[in-house]
Amino acid sequence: MKKIAPTLIVAAIAVLPLLGLSTYILHVLILTIMWSVIGMAWNLLGGFCGQVSFGHAAFFGVGAYTSGILYNKFGISAWWGMPASIGVVAVFALFIGFITLRLRGPFFALGTLAVGVILRVTAENLPDVTEGNLGIMIRERSWVDKTWYFYIILTLAVLVFLLVKKVVGSRLGYYFVAIREDQDAAESLGINTTYYKTIALCLSAVITGLAGAFYTNYMGYIDPKVVFALHDISIVVIMVVMVGGVATFWGPVVGSAIMVLLAELIRSIPMLGAAHLTFFGVLLIVIIIFLPNGIIGDIPKLKRLLGIRKNL
Amino acid sequence: MKRLLLDASLLFLLALLPSSLFAANIPEIVIPLPLTGQQGKFGEMMKRSYQMAAEEINAKGGIKKQKLVLSFEDSGAKPETARAIVEKLIDSKKQPIIVGEYTSACAKAVAAVAEERKTPYLIVASADDAITRQNYKYVFRQNAVNAHYADGVISFLSQVVKPKTIAILYESSAFGTSGAEAMVKDAEKLGIKVLLKERYESGSIDFKPILSKVKAARPDLIYMVSYVMDASLLMKQIKELRIDAKLFAGGAAGFAIPEFIDNAKDAAEYVISATLWTQQLKYPGAKEYAEKYNAKYKDYPSYHGASAYSAIYVVKDALERAKDYSPEKIRDALKTTNISTAFGPIKFENKEGYQNQNFMDTLVFQVQKGEFETIWPQQYASKKYIYPIPTWRERR
Repeated sequence: MKKIAPTLIVAAIAVLPLLGLSTYILHVLILTIMWSVIGMAWNLLGGFCGQVSFGHAAFFGVGAYTSGILYNKFGISAWWGMPASIGVVAVFALFIGFITLRLRGPFFALGTLAVGVILRVTAENLPDVTEGNLGIMIRERSWVDKTWYFYIILTLAVLVFLLVKKVVGSRLGYYFVAIREDQDAAESLGINTTYYKTIALCLSAVITGLAGAFYTNYMGYIDPKVVFALHDISIVVIMVVMVGGVATFWGPVVGSAIMVLLAELIRSIPMLGAAHLTFFGVLLIVIIIFLPNGIIGDIPKLKRLLGIRKNL
Repeated sequence: MKRLLLDASLLFLLALLPSSLFAANIPEIVIPLPLTGQQGKFGEMMKRSYQMAAEEINAKGGIKKQKLVLSFEDSGAKPETARAIVEKLIDSKKQPIIVGEYTSACAKAVAAVAEERKTPYLIVASADDAITRQNYKYVFRQNAVNAHYADGVISFLSQVVKPKTIAILYESSAFGTSGAEAMVKDAEKLGIKVLLKERYESGSIDFKPILSKVKAARPDLIYMVSYVMDASLLMKQIKELRIDAKLFAGGAAGFAIPEFIDNAKDAAEYVISATLWTQQLKYPGAKEYAEKYNAKYKDYPSYHGASAYSAIYVVKDALERAKDYSPEKIRDALKTTNISTAFGPIKFENKEGYQNQNFMDTLVFQVQKGEFETIWPQQYASKKYIYPIPTWRERR
């Protein structure tokens, strides 16, 4: 059962567009899947390798701008941004990693936070390259219909899921966990911690960048405030993982369902008006207090709370 | 098994999403706008104004004897959310016309969807020039484009103030950037030398570093393009630093709403600003709208509110003239709009590279004794302008 469950879920999600759902629901689903991709990327670095990044918007934005600049300056389809972003983001992540991965714990978090903000300001101040605050607008998106976008991001999500599973199950994954648990002990065992942390960062960054490039193609408009957003991207991705479950495979998926789907559901309750944020915030606080390991991480506890106890 | 249970509940959540609710004869119009976040102030004012207009229309018998029902959804000024709302409106609710949004980033996201789905979209207060330059057929804009926001100020400058030098401060956003660019171009035309063009982070609190640069440059004129809090903070800190210039000018938005005077208090005195509308205008209904708004909410509305208020009348007019309530027919009706509203005469033209753009006179007001007074162009003036203005030292 456990073995085929993921396949079943993917199959169930994959037939969704065939059911004739409205584009609104597809839009929310696409965003949810996109966020679970970013969540899985963050989880690889933050969850498994223990390097908490507050600046994933930097990678998201670089990916998004790779796509946007290819379209805007070179006049080729923004979809080329997806393969191109792999290289660009990897090089960028190497560079960032070279500087920030020497820092530990909160200092790494602060370092990445700064990277995100620095990039936003940089993008705002390079109007010749990025069009500055006016942003890049894609005149015509590839499809009006959402089905293709849906399958593209779903494919990406499945691939990333498999990749994360593969990496975590491999020797590399054990190194990551060792680094998370005790960096000095890992070092003394002969693990080149900086090297493996760089690998984790690059993998995580590239996946996030791919999601960014997808975002450009899908939304058709980017500006520095949107794609390098601290609150709306860097923090949200942390929330996605925290709520779903740190260092779990399904955590980011569940987390993004809550952060995007549930947030959207609550937002569209007509009675709440502008209070929807308060409501959602309280919900998040409750989740974090009672399920500190996230929903997936605290499934046993959740069952106890709900009274569904497994017969031992 | 436990995995499956979880996934099943996830799918259940999906099924809960509201698909289509109900379809009345005259469609309920849902308006996306920012009610939370930094732009919440503007969103709220616009929401109230939309509602006032709808109430008035309904009191007078509605549209073709049917009640106009409005409701609102908060986009939090996020493009994804704005798009989600509009996708829902077009697809699930079959709403044949979209009105609203505020920030240019959101308006761009909404405009792209509206065009793709062939549903007319009426922009109420988003100013970035690019939006109506995309050859969109279904996107209409009622407010002036940013490039023209300062036209009134420019004519006031060239005829009255005749400054030699200018310093431009603007916030880092699409609105701030395009406003500043437009001003640079205009200044070059008038032969005004741009001494300084400085961008600041929107939402900053401490402007002293850039203001000291301004002080050192000693410009004749300081022109600022800002949203709400920045505008009053800028003027307050200019007062604290005793920076004297021949004139302080703002580029609409943050300078044009009542909160500016409330927050900046006496530092706001004599500041002029571009605006698209003031309540002293002699457009039919302008004054009544402002008074009614003031009676209800104890504050005067800015052009954002007036534009929102009038947008509902534009929609009413289009719906009345449209042969049926299909997006196509409503678009055709919008295209031939030619009415006079509290916001001024409105018709949508293709010119200067813009499509379906309403062109209007932009005005200048000056804060005099804590009130906005229209001073320029002269035919609209409610009070005579005060120029030259006293220095900070003389004001005490």
